[in-house]
Amino acid sequence: MKMNRFLSLVLVLLLLLPGLLLASGTKEAEKDGMIELSVYHYLDQTDKTTAPNFQHLVDVFESENPNIKLNFEYGYGESFHDKLQTMAMSGQLPDIILLYPGERTSQVTSAGLVKDLRPYLAGHESEFADMAMQAQGDNGEIWELPEDISITSIMYTNNKLLKNLGLSFPKTYDELIAQGAVIRNAGLIPISIANKDAWPMQSCLAGMLVERTCGMSWWNDVLAGNASYADPEFVYALDIIKDLQNQEMLSPGTNQLAYGQGLDDFVNERAVYFIDGGWTVNNMVGELTDEQKTYVSLESFPDIANQKGKSMSVSATAGQGFGMNANLTDEEAAAAWKWIWFYSGPEGSAIRQQYGRLPAYNLAEPEQADPMIKKLITFAGQVPMGYVMDSVIAAEPIGTFNINLQNMMFGTMTPEEVAKHLEDMVVALGR
Amino acid sequence: MKKPITIGRIFAYVLMILFALLTIVPLLWMFLSAFKPHAMIVRQPLLPPMTLYLENFRLAWTQGHLGIYFANSIVYAMTSTIFTVVLAISSGYALSKFSYPSGKFIYALYTLGLLITVHSVIVPLFIMETKLGIANTRFGVILPYIAFGLPFEVFLATTYVKGIPDAMQESAIIDGATFLEVFVKIIIPVATPIISTMFIYTFLGNWNEFILVLTLTSELAIRSLPVGINSFAGGMSRDYGLQFAALVIGTIPMIIFYLIFKDKIAQGFAAGSTKE
Amino acid sequence: MTYTQQKHMSYWILVLPGILVFIAIIMFPVIYSFLLSFTNWNGYGKPSYAGLENYKTILIDPVFLHSLRNNLLIIAVSVFGQIPLGFLLAYLLHRKVVRHGNFYQTMIFLPITISPVVVALLWNQIFSSSGMIVALIRSVTQNPQYVIKIFEDPEFAIMPILFVLLWMHTGTYMIIYYANLQKMTPSVLEAAQIDGASEAQMLGRIILPSMIATIATTAIFAISGSLKAFDLIYAMTGGGPAHFTEVIAIYMYVNTFKYYKYGFGSATSIIIVLLAVGLILILQSISKKFERRYE
Repeated sequence: MKMNRFLSLVLVLLLLLPGLLLASGTKEAEKDGMIELSVYHYLDQTDKTTAPNFQHLVDVFESENPNIKLNFEYGYGESFHDKLQTMAMSGQLPDIILLYPGERTSQVTSAGLVKDLRPYLAGHESEFADMAMQAQGDNGEIWELPEDISITSIMYTNNKLLKNLGLSFPKTYDELIAQGAVIRNAGLIPISIANKDAWPMQSCLAGMLVERTCGMSWWNDVLAGNASYADPEFVYALDIIKDLQNQEMLSPGTNQLAYGQGLDDFVNERAVYFIDGGWTVNNMVGELTDEQKTYVSLESFPDIANQKGKSMSVSATAGQGFGMNANLTDEEAAAAWKWIWFYSGPEGSAIRQQYGRLPAYNLAEPEQADPMIKKLITFAGQVPMGYVMDSVIAAEPIGTFNINLQNMMFGTMTPEEVAKHLEDMVVALGR
Repeated sequence: MKKPITIGRIFAYVLMILFALLTIVPLLWMFLSAFKPHAMIVRQPLLPPMTLYLENFRLAWTQGHLGIYFANSIVYAMTSTIFTVVLAISSGYALSKFSYPSGKFIYALYTLGLLITVHSVIVPLFIMETKLGIANTRFGVILPYIAFGLPFEVFLATTYVKGIPDAMQESAIIDGATFLEVFVKIIIPVATPIISTMFIYTFLGNWNEFILVLTLTSELAIRSLPVGINSFAGGMSRDYGLQFAALVIGTIPMIIFYLIFKDKIAQGFAAGSTKE
Repeated sequence: MTYTQQKHMSYWILVLPGILVFIAIIMFPVIYSFLLSFTNWNGYGKPSYAGLENYKTILIDPVFLHSLRNNLLIIAVSVFGQIPLGFLLAYLLHRKVVRHGNFYQTMIFLPITISPVVVALLWNQIFSSSGMIVALIRSVTQNPQYVIKIFEDPEFAIMPILFVLLWMHTGTYMIIYYANLQKMTPSVLEAAQIDGASEAQMLGRIILPSMIATIATTAIFAISGSLKAFDLIYAMTGGGPAHFTEVIAIYMYVNTFKYYKYGFGSATSIIIVLLAVGLILILQSISKKFERRYE
């Protein structure tokens, strides 16, 4: 009984506390002449790096534009897309929306729910990387102004471990495989990659391998419908993934590992190589020690036998960016553009570059920046770029393909079957 | 009183201890890990914390906006639970003691409701709420909470009220009481055990609800705790310490809540789950 | 106002508010999605009529069939695992076989109060290849490459989920049975004991028959809950790796919210409801037979 009374008291206190905390908050006064805009953004609000960085950008913008008030709503992970769909379908799209250049948000962009940004952008096209200015709509529309260039297939290398093992970065795929036994015998993981979520193997490895085995002319052909995913050169790319798995080159249990684990293993020096996108540099800035930053390098996957594509090539795409609702009034649209231009244009890009992003806006190399950021910028200037699969193939075929890659690694599907399946789905849906 | 040691008793102890450990160990691990920095959780997952490290809680509370969420959770869970329970017990009375043909149909509808997943109605529901202008309001969250709580609670209420002898109602009616008076003066007092069970059970469910509040609201100021916790625990957040702290904040109130009311839960279940 | 009028009015006052909320919020969208299930709709523009096409596609899709199999396993675990185990635990507690019964009862029921998202996260930390168990095995066997292979097997990957479900829900059943056992009149049991009935005889001839109605009711909840299972599994594995741990609710979710096939997703929800109704009808006829036998 006594215990119960005590627990009741604790509970009541627990329940009252937040109310009291809330009551002490102040209410903001509304001002005249303000333009309020709702913004839907993709952000992990609990991320210790990205969330404060983003807030900083917002603060800078709002202090420069005191008459524009941005009301942010954040989504993250799958629920970002679920919510976006629901809002779009019910005609409740916010004023400014984070959109993706490829297929991920094509349901929104192709439905005419957002404005074409070309009239606003006119005259500034040459200030961006070519990749970012590629047409996003059927008639050459630009629906969103890409913030970054995403390189999705960087082979981060721990050169200290490599040296300790008496190895150096491999020139060819066969050399890489030959290193496997040495690395494993030292109790280390050759290539850290966490594929529980199924997209990393496709986004960070498969796309790049397809460029190597098939070349860019094949890529353009297949997108135009003049080649097939069932072609042997495409199957060859899948064979390599299968081989990496069979040769125990990838993280043990890679298909059970949640995404962040790949970086964990690399940062804690349990892995020699780590394959992930350029966005990870953002985390590395904070998580690698200064000493580690001196011996971690960014590399491209080594050459494969009978390579048709270019040496050193990576898969890359112009990243996401903000677009605006088609229903905005001229005045609102002008305010929305101010934010979009601030964010992806020179000012925001310079800030984001400091944070380790690779802005789509052409900037001079920063003098003051983290060594990892400098490495990323240098790397990006050196490597040829091919397509990222999930930015050129529709959601359902690529979602199925991701999962089929897991099937292939488990031996429940052959590379030929995976390729054939992808071709069939793409044909059925229309390219 | 000493009981003889038999194989049966040993077996019983093994089973009980096994179940108890399965509950205690993960919860304890969660609790202890919340007091460890991320790096230590990764490097020595099994060691207890060496110092009292509270940073995780401070960060989780401020960065995750858990304070506001916490308050909202209470509002949502409380309000919708009260309405659900009142509506369910009154429906339970009407459906079990009036024997109208429409009652059977209504009861069948509720039973069907037990089988509906939230995801299968969420898109039409959101469209409907935006057309009515109640999306993104507290009311727009509470209404579906009530609706989704009803089927199970109506089922509990109906079976319980059915078990109350008809004689009690009849004598009151003969004395000139109206049916509504019977409901307030006889049925509700007699049904107190099931009402408290219904209350607790609905409250627990609403407290943990995630997908409705996520989809139907967009302003931070009206979202609830599971949304906050999910942003730590949902996927790629890499700080396990923060994750665990958020989990502890979300879990502890319910554990205390349960420890207070566990006897009531048990009583009500006895009443509610017997057929006829 | 006559008696009949008064009764009639009271009835509607009592029943109407609840059923109106229920119909508006749940039945209305359900009808909407039923109609949608015969169309192809991607969320924008006009849906085009597709007849039974969606249903046909779903019923021959190997991914759906594997999901259905997983759902049936979950039902099996609830009906043949959680329910008997819950009963056994309740019985042991009721007969006071162990000391400190109250403590065990509390511990066994506790998981039900924790959000599925939390439960999933907790167990993931334990089962995953970066988790507690693997870390332990790796340090014992000195094999840093060790992974739990059955989690990558199409047939057995569902095992850890079944285990967690068993842990999570057994408590609910235990509480229900325990409470009902305590309601039984002790005199019946005492009389049987005096007549020299053994523990097993009492259980088989008196206690179990009196519990059949309760068990049947809980089985209905077990079936409907199992077919709807989503939160925990989605948070633990998202249906992966490859579709190995997928269940129908996840299948429906992915098709609706990731691939924008609203008609297809709606058809999947309708199939869930039909399956549940079918299984529950079968269950009811079985339990009626049992009840009759004991009457």
